[in-house]
Amino acid sequence: MGQTKLDDYLRVIELCRDVESSSANPFDVDIREKILILKQRLPELKLLDELLVDAEAMLELSNIVKLQDEFLKQKASSLYIDPLLVQLKVKLLPKEALSEAFVRSWHPLAQLDQLSPRGLEKAFVYWRDLIPISERFKDQFGTYGTRPGQVDYSDLVSMGVFTPEQFETNLTQLYGDLLEQSKGGWVDYRQFITDDAFENKVRRAYLLAFLLSEGRALLKTEPLSGKIWTMAIGEKAKGPLKSVAISITGEG
Amino acid sequence: MTEAESGDRALLERKVRRAFQVLLLQRGRNPGVKGWEMKRHLGRDYRKIIEVLSEDVAPMGLEVFEVKGADGTDDSSRFLLRFKEPPTVSEAETSGIRIDDLAVLAATIAFVNSKSGRVARREAEQFLREKFPRWRIDYSLDRYVKRGYLEQDERGMLHIGWRTHAEVDEKTLMTMILSRAQEAAKK
Repeated sequence: MGQTKLDDYLRVIELCRDVESSSANPFDVDIREKILILKQRLPELKLLDELLVDAEAMLELSNIVKLQDEFLKQKASSLYIDPLLVQLKVKLLPKEALSEAFVRSWHPLAQLDQLSPRGLEKAFVYWRDLIPISERFKDQFGTYGTRPGQVDYSDLVSMGVFTPEQFETNLTQLYGDLLEQSKGGWVDYRQFITDDAFENKVRRAYLLAFLLSEGRALLKTEPLSGKIWTMAIGEKAKGPLKSVAISITGEG
Repeated sequence: MTEAESGDRALLERKVRRAFQVLLLQRGRNPGVKGWEMKRHLGRDYRKIIEVLSEDVAPMGLEVFEVKGADGTDDSSRFLLRFKEPPTVSEAETSGIRIDDLAVLAATIAFVNSKSGRVARREAEQFLREKFPRWRIDYSLDRYVKRGYLEQDERGMLHIGWRTHAEVDEKTLMTMILSRAQEAAKK
């Protein structure tokens, strides 16, 4: 197939497709001019594949004519407003005013949703073919292994992570550390527990949780910023205890 | 009233009742009933029946609304039962709709209309990003495409969906956006 004689066709097809897949003005395509080009080239086409390219170009041009028709209809309707003006107006409006404009022009449909035999059958087939959740993501994530659970002080002692003496010493050491850093003020929780080794970081978080439970330290969270603050206190805090779940990662 | 007249009246009432049931119960995936279906259920003069029904449901704040089909024929028209008057903002809020989601939809409809009824989704997203967070835009656009308020073709172009044509008075929406923006600018 001679590439040069098909170049004009390919250019027409590409131009039409570009216009179809963007919000460009369909009148940017000069249909008459393009059809004349195709008409001039047509006698040179002999092979079936070449004629198919010609048909494709004609199809794309007819799609553009359809878009031009829609474009004119839309522009003739009172809904057409300059896009830049709309962008400016929408930018000026607060979200509440935008949604109010929608609600005041909205007529919700009234209808009844009811269970049909077809819907029931679809639900049954879906449920029947649904793989149990334990199997569902095996391909992607492998098996789950041990589920998350709780490890208390006695578990850690029995696992050999701490001896009772070490635990008390470490707790006192951490309390002193926090007292020194906070100096009566709040310190960043994540900065305080940070350590080069992830194990030590978890250890510090774990010990700090004990200090907090015992009322020897306080914790406050800022939900909006996600910041967590802590401080050591001289006297044991009184009042109701609250639980806060904090995830510890290897980062930071 | 003669016997024939009372017979006609009973027939009309039966047909109006049938029209109401047909419109209220969702059959296919989308709500509403096509013109050709109405003709099958109610007979050739179904438009008259619909007119009577529309008057009957008006005291309940409802109306029968016609959305013209693509080819403009009676058969392709879709008839729907909808609120005659828009709800108040607080009524809309109590139905669980988020103000931010509605704002995304209002801005998108206005933008698509201003672009002659079709706009590349990425262009719409870029436009919306000046006002809304990215995650809300993605979530809302997907949701409104799924619910029929917007349509997305295989080339990634957004169009106004059938549900917007059915539920939203687009002229009022555009006018309100333009006039409200003027008020906001004056403030």
